[in-house]
Amino acid sequence: MKGAERIEIDRRYCKGCMLCQYVCQFDVYEQGQERSALDYLMPRPARIENCRVCGLCESHCPDMCLTVVAQMNRKEKR
Amino acid sequence: MNPLGEKYLRKDFLPFLFCPGCGDGMIVQSFLQAVEDLGCRENLAMTAGIGCSAWIAVYIHADVLKVLHGRAIPAAIGLKATQPSRTVVTFTGDGDCLAIGGNHLLHAARRNIDMTVVVVNNQLYAMTGGQVAPSTKVGSKTQTTPYGNVEKPLDGCKVAAAAGATLVSRWSTAHPRQLIRAFKNALTHKGFAFVEVMSQCPVQTGRYLLGSGSPQFNFQWLKDNCVAVKDTSQRDEVEAQGKIPLGDFLQVEKPEFMEEVRRMNERVKEAKAKGGER
Ligand SMILES: Cc1ncc(C[n+]2csc(CCOP(=O)(O)OP(=O)(O)O)c2C)c(N)n1
Ligand code: SF4
Ligand code: SF4
Repeated sequence: MKGAERIEIDRRYCKGCMLCQYVCQFDVYEQGQERSALDYLMPRPARIENCRVCGLCESHCPDMCLTVVAQMNRKEKR
Repeated sequence: MNPLGEKYLRKDFLPFLFCPGCGDGMIVQSFLQAVEDLGCRENLAMTAGIGCSAWIAVYIHADVLKVLHGRAIPAAIGLKATQPSRTVVTFTGDGDCLAIGGNHLLHAARRNIDMTVVVVNNQLYAMTGGQVAPSTKVGSKTQTTPYGNVEKPLDGCKVAAAAGATLVSRWSTAHPRQLIRAFKNALTHKGFAFVEVMSQCPVQTGRYLLGSGSPQFNFQWLKDNCVAVKDTSQRDEVEAQGKIPLGDFLQVEKPEFMEEVRRMNERVKEAKAKGGER
């Protein structure tokens, strides 16, 4: 199964719309306490271990500021 | 910034001027994915008029002309006429395209000019504060129709098809995979391609028409109210339910304007060389 190495949210551009959380099917995100450079409360990938790297959050982010980095060289688990 | 943004956006213009949760940024991303998949950045030349949606073109690092309200299509025709190898794309809003620019849409479609028009439909004039547009439903309360809109809306896809467009699709920001595919079809289509994108505007559409300014609510509204259809009878059914049909409605091949003009010129030149008049 695919997993995420990390999820990067660019604090220069995030507007805290939380659509990333809304489209995620695996409950990875929660509302965080940190504010972006634009002064919006940012999401936090609190449960990154749930991430399957489906890319929905990345492709739906209206500010193109979210990147899901997949784990490399991880053995397929079944 | 995600890798697509790193590769294609004008960093010195960021952040996007769009409000939090606006669909316009999603359209930038879907369009760039299509450009990336096709590898067609080199020849890309875009035009845009005025409105929130017109800014989509400005952030993309390629040739762009931002012109007067409603005049993005004529500017695009100029780009195509002066250098036919260009892949010409116009970004326009429902107001920019169907109201002030409506005449240009008709004639560009009629001539089947080889270009793509992307119309972002958020059902009203967003940038100026939520006024009624030709796309606004009857009964809707907007800033300029406080007692409910009495004008029947225009269906941009039907207008474009009736005028002679040779590719017509409508998708939404809640359908990014289908939207990317439609953009790729349009960019590689020889002729006038019209792609309408239903898009969320939490700030104006949400507030005035849908009763909530939440990005999640407005995104879900698109999911609930836009229905993919396979044929015209399904399309009529969906419309009768008051919902918005999505789909790849039309793709046909017809003679393209610039090529016809070139052919005519060659014909005239040949005839003249032979000593004839035309
Ligand atoms: C000639 C002219 N008339 C009016 C305006 C004011 N104006 C600016 S944007 C706009 C409406 C844009 O609506 P739309 O095309 O739907 O784009 P949106 O902002 O909704 O994305 C209007 C009427 C203008 N800039 N120029
Ligand atoms: S979708 Fe993008 S802009 Fe919106 S909260 Fe998530 S990371 Fe921020
Ligand atoms: S007013 Fe509406 S369309 Fe314009 S940027 Fe804001 S959310 Fe987007």
